[in-house]
Amino acid sequence: MTSTTNPSFILRAVKDVVLGDIPKPQIEGAHDVIVKVGQTGICGSDVHYWQRGRIGDFVLNSPIVLGHESSGTVVEIGAAVKNLRVGDKVAIEPGVPCRHCEYCRSGSYNLCPDTVFAATPPHNGTLSRFYKTASDYCYPLPEHMTLEDGALCEPVAVAVQICKVGNVKAGQKVVVFGCGPIGLLVQSVAKAYGAKVVIGIDISQSRLELASSVLKCADGVFSPPSLPKKPDGTAYSIDEESEHSAKVAQIIKDNFMLGEGPEVVIDATGAQSCIQTGVNLTKKGGTYVQAGMGRENVVFPITTACIRDLTIRGSIRYTAGVYPQAVDLVASGKIQPQKLVTHRFRFEEAEQAFETVRRGGEDVLKVMIEGVRD
Amino acid sequence: MAPVAVDTTQQQPLSVNDIAPKKLQYLPNRAFVLRETKCFVYEERPVPDLPSNKHVIVAIKATGLCGSDIHYWQHGEIGQFKVSQPLVLGHESAGVVWQCGPAVKSLQPGDMVALEPGIPCRSCSYCKEGRYNLCPDVKFAATPPHDGTLTTYYTVPEDFCYKLPSSISLEEGALLEPLSVAVHCAKLAGISYGNSVLVLGAGPIGLLCCSVARAFGAAEVVAVDIVPSRLDFARQYAATKVYRMEGLLPEENASSILSGTRKSEGFDVVIDATGAQSCISTGIHALRRGGKFVQAGLGASEITFPVAQLCSKEGVYIGSFRYSAGDYDTAVKLIEQGSVVVKDMITHSYSFDEAEKAFQNVVQRQGIKTIIRGVGV
Repeated sequence: MTSTTNPSFILRAVKDVVLGDIPKPQIEGAHDVIVKVGQTGICGSDVHYWQRGRIGDFVLNSPIVLGHESSGTVVEIGAAVKNLRVGDKVAIEPGVPCRHCEYCRSGSYNLCPDTVFAATPPHNGTLSRFYKTASDYCYPLPEHMTLEDGALCEPVAVAVQICKVGNVKAGQKVVVFGCGPIGLLVQSVAKAYGAKVVIGIDISQSRLELASSVLKCADGVFSPPSLPKKPDGTAYSIDEESEHSAKVAQIIKDNFMLGEGPEVVIDATGAQSCIQTGVNLTKKGGTYVQAGMGRENVVFPITTACIRDLTIRGSIRYTAGVYPQAVDLVASGKIQPQKLVTHRFRFEEAEQAFETVRRGGEDVLKVMIEGVRD
Repeated sequence: MAPVAVDTTQQQPLSVNDIAPKKLQYLPNRAFVLRETKCFVYEERPVPDLPSNKHVIVAIKATGLCGSDIHYWQHGEIGQFKVSQPLVLGHESAGVVWQCGPAVKSLQPGDMVALEPGIPCRSCSYCKEGRYNLCPDVKFAATPPHDGTLTTYYTVPEDFCYKLPSSISLEEGALLEPLSVAVHCAKLAGISYGNSVLVLGAGPIGLLCCSVARAFGAAEVVAVDIVPSRLDFARQYAATKVYRMEGLLPEENASSILSGTRKSEGFDVVIDATGAQSCISTGIHALRRGGKFVQAGLGASEITFPVAQLCSKEGVYIGSFRYSAGDYDTAVKLIEQGSVVVKDMITHSYSFDEAEKAFQNVVQRQGIKTIIRGVGV
């Protein structure tokens, strides 16, 4: 592959991926940069588009290049670019908003309806040799930081945003449901922010061990008991399940001596039982953050939320200042996202990488795809 | 004070049919230029090109004058900004959309709009946070080296144009800029229902702060000035009470204001629209414990300040600069609802050919707001 081609990992249609070639991007605007992509992590959303062809209103209607968690090396810059030089290693923030709408102007650019987001149809993602983006959405990495860590800044940024939304502060008690990559990183960020106690919840023992012993981002971990199967095999009613979730919340409070409860609860699972338990667990006046995405509609303890004066917030992507802070947290060593990486593939093995994430399992956490080798 | 109409050649507000071009015909682009300190000239300049697909060209129909315009004329500089080459002044404008760039969606030729005169870079951390008024690379009309709006035609990005409610004239549309300054102050102050508000200075900004405070639900708005005619206007405009500042110590003035308004505790909110040391001090002394003080006025760059008062009251002292996200939208809505009326603040109106007389009128501190009409109006 010569450096004039642009090998890419393309999603042609549902469940139909191929290694192809697309035109090499050109500098058009004075603030454009072209990055030679170094590393790309795979996210659940990439797999979802591959398998289902849509997430909500975003529908795959024509082929797109996949991938959005990337880093790389700057190879070309537009005439007005001041923050980067050719040769800089950068973390790439994958969504460039329109900058003109009321959301952008008021500081909520993550809500811009016209965001060009890598690998969200119809926009191409980063799994190409070269990727073009805006210079103010690329962040230089310090010398000692690897390209792999640079790519991992994307999920770290998601975790930083979640903690920003939850207003996580020093001295607080924080409970995080889910010990997948996002849950683990949220726990790590909360610790970096000086949270007094961070508890990680998951149903998988090996994930809990990652939290308590490998990343050491949780002060305590817990696997919630589920309702035993009924002898007659019938399902529990909605009320019975809700009651159970409330009981589990009390067990967590007691087990970890959380007193009135954690000031901040973050759900990084999207699972109904976790959402219910999480809301019941939150201290009166506290904040509950929905980060995980599961079913679109769940049974939600709304009365509890009301009478306990809870603040319930959604968290999506990242806002101003978040990506630079993620880079700083990783560069300083306060967060070590490389400990999440379980599989590494070469660019030509991209489909295999995706297949690994798709099949999942306890041994699969973060899967990386290297950039095209020259 | 009754509005004084001076030298107007056109009384009725322009209707859309009068001004929408049937086909694109450009008049020569005249400019009123500050060639150097205290020296104005008229020039003809090329009609501007559209800088981007998202820009529009506006035919300027009305421009209000601000203290900063006067200051550049008289002194050739404000702080670090120096008029080192000829500069077009004016930044408080309204006009008619003449031409739209291909990517413009919400405007069409003939629309009557107010202009927000400062265009930020949209890519720095301030812009991304939603505080674009703090952008270090903002291009602000009539702040050197960027030309202002005293020309026939002026280019603006679509999202910095705001359609005027049909109930107001283009001259009133020029007041949307100072009104947005007042909105920004009121929002920083967190003025809400039932608050007591003290406004120091009954010039255009002070008066508009009084009006916005009332619109935001303030129960009591007290206007302070040294000029009796300004206080008379304030009383019948938007203040619930007025106070004439005496030559007393700040704490004495404050005490007098508080007893005159029957307050034992101070004002929830104080806005200073003078920049004068004595007013700022008085305002701090009149502030309630835990209250908010917004500094809108610009005066001396260093003052003597009752810092111990601020500290022991746990007051919050907030600087206010121009306007940012949502302020112009709020200003338009306030006018639309009739919650703020700006018509009576326009006391003088001059034709484009008499622009220098307008500047002289303002430097002589005549009236409240002086407007320069657009070319041919």
